[in-house]
Amino acid sequence: MLQDVALGLLTSGVAVSGTARLIVDIAMYFGLFVIVAMALNFQYGNAGIPNMGCAVQVIMGGFTVSGITVRLMFTMAEAAGTELLPWANDFDWVYNNPSNVSTMNEFIGPRMSFGVSMLLFSLAVSLILGAVIGWVIALPAIRLRATYLMIVLITMADAAQIFGRNIPAISGGTLGMFIPNIYEWYPGDRTVLSAVITLLIGIISFFLFRTMLNSPYGRLMRAIRENEVTVGSVGKNVVGIRRNILMFASGITALSGTLLAFYFSYVVEANYQRAFWTYWPWLMLILGGPGNNAGTFLGCALIVAMRRVIIVNKWFLQAVFFFPIAYFESILLGVLLIAVIMFRPNGLIPEKLLYIPGVNYTKMVNEEVKIDWRNAPKARGGSSGIGGIMSAFGGGKKEEES
Amino acid sequence: MLIPAIWVAALVFASELTLLSIGFTLTYLTAKIPNFAHGTYAGIGIYVSYTFAKIFNLSPYFGFPLAFLIGGLFSVIVYKIVIGALTNMGGGAIVLTISTLAIQIFLTGLIQIYAYWLRDRYSTYAMSFLLKQNDFKIGDFPGIFVVSLSLTIVSVISLHYMLTKTNIGVAMRATAEDPELASVLGININQIQLFSWFLTGGLACLAGAMIPLWFMSTPQSGAMIITSIMAGSLLGGFDSIYGAVVGGALVGLSEIMLTTWGQAIIGVWVGEYRPLVPMIFLVAVLLVEPDGLHGAYTKFVASETGSNLLKSIGLQKEEY
Repeated sequence: MLQDVALGLLTSGVAVSGTARLIVDIAMYFGLFVIVAMALNFQYGNAGIPNMGCAVQVIMGGFTVSGITVRLMFTMAEAAGTELLPWANDFDWVYNNPSNVSTMNEFIGPRMSFGVSMLLFSLAVSLILGAVIGWVIALPAIRLRATYLMIVLITMADAAQIFGRNIPAISGGTLGMFIPNIYEWYPGDRTVLSAVITLLIGIISFFLFRTMLNSPYGRLMRAIRENEVTVGSVGKNVVGIRRNILMFASGITALSGTLLAFYFSYVVEANYQRAFWTYWPWLMLILGGPGNNAGTFLGCALIVAMRRVIIVNKWFLQAVFFFPIAYFESILLGVLLIAVIMFRPNGLIPEKLLYIPGVNYTKMVNEEVKIDWRNAPKARGGSSGIGGIMSAFGGGKKEEES
Repeated sequence: MLIPAIWVAALVFASELTLLSIGFTLTYLTAKIPNFAHGTYAGIGIYVSYTFAKIFNLSPYFGFPLAFLIGGLFSVIVYKIVIGALTNMGGGAIVLTISTLAIQIFLTGLIQIYAYWLRDRYSTYAMSFLLKQNDFKIGDFPGIFVVSLSLTIVSVISLHYMLTKTNIGVAMRATAEDPELASVLGININQIQLFSWFLTGGLACLAGAMIPLWFMSTPQSGAMIITSIMAGSLLGGFDSIYGAVVGGALVGLSEIMLTTWGQAIIGVWVGEYRPLVPMIFLVAVLLVEPDGLHGAYTKFVASETGSNLLKSIGLQKEEY
């Protein structure tokens, strides 16, 4: 089984199948969802921003591929002398899409550098566009109450889908668009390569988020989550920091949409539904435990594995239910979400304290809990005690008393 | 017909949306959270109407009292099992809002299964339907036009009477203002909360029961209408019931009329963008005046010109 996966990775012409196919599928979806859920954890778990608009950012990644990368590919291929059917106006763009894409696949076949550079180009563009769309959709409500932000973001997913459905130039409208296979140069199974690349990007973004969290900025984020008035009173621009976090995480979320588009070789707005790309990542985040990347990984792995196994075995499970099993999905999602919120509010893995170089933060906080600080001696050396915490929130400001 | 069909549609939709927005605002006042499941109560009402019309072969209007009761019951169950328990556990506003989303997902799933079961059991196509032919006519007007307008006006007036004149309404307002102080004065907060959740659920389900008599309905339409409800409630200012009446009516009217005029002036393709109208309202309200019409009115009254204007037409400034 595992050998089959490895074979699909290395040898040519062997398509993975059976259980090995299921493993590849789970790995791919795990990679996609872990990027979204980690970005969500960065926003909600650590900075307290309830981003209910993940679907908008993911859809932006998909639209980047279908609307920008494909056009660039066609232009470059024509410049290189390949004959393509006309694709300038909306009708030709959609109608000639399949044959153009198959011509493009032949074009990419011997050119590995072209495929890789197109992948990198789409990732870069979707990072930027994701950040831009994060800025735009947060604009009305970022200054206001968190519930207003939720309301605006949750409606924006529908807006993005409406635009995608009605403007064929973006993603072919309701018909969808085929995407040239940028892994065409690869001799083995392209789904395996795609899963490996997705997991790789997931790992890179994990280290990115971890580094940011362990920096002074991470402490600032947690301070905003706990009490934004205090943070504002020590001279930090709370709204600006929130906006930066939202934009950064939105950019990372958009990467997942780009990778999904290349995995399917197909983009259609119906693939980027709000239920799928917002509610499920939220369930993963809350199940694993907000504010903690290990929990996000665990929640993500559990939910993705459960979902894929149910989908793959749905014909066996169908015998149990009197209604189509697709409707069972929303029941399951709702019940799981409520159950986790009610019975495990901190998730499977509780939140850990941040790492601060040179300070034993855990010990410091534990001491704070034990000691009645009104009677405690004022100077306890270095950066411990209440002053230490304040300096930690201040992001590396010098203590006044020492 | 005296009134063009499109205005009938707009007024029917506006009155339904007004009822829904009032309920949404009432929930926001008592529980301090936007209840995303509010539109789904309307979805339950849609299927109560469908059941009466197609399964029992009665006029859907006979289902209205039952719809009110069922909606209230669902709402009370939701409050008892989820919202109340989470509030006692000390869940914050964000956690409570996420739980209402979960309830919305769950209830939508239930409605879908019910629709499928109806199709399976009675061989009627319950996935997408319209009950216009089950309506009656008063003169030239379709019955739903008269019924929805009068039901909404009666509900608004009786709500106003209840909130200002009766003991339970005053208790409700006190609970919304400050639950602890209200409990000190001997108000049973728990009962008041239950009553207001029953009322909001019932109103939402009643409004939902009117929807299929004029508009195409699917199991999803309850979940889809929530954007319009939130836009109406936000336009009125989240914490004012009178604002919600005006806001719901305005959003409902403009959603249909703006789309129709846009189709006539710009082109037919504008019709596809109808769901964007409430979103534009949401964004515009948040950018211009986050407190909505109620906040704008309060500011206007507080200003010099506003109070002078009110005095000149013989009105007294309300004392808060």
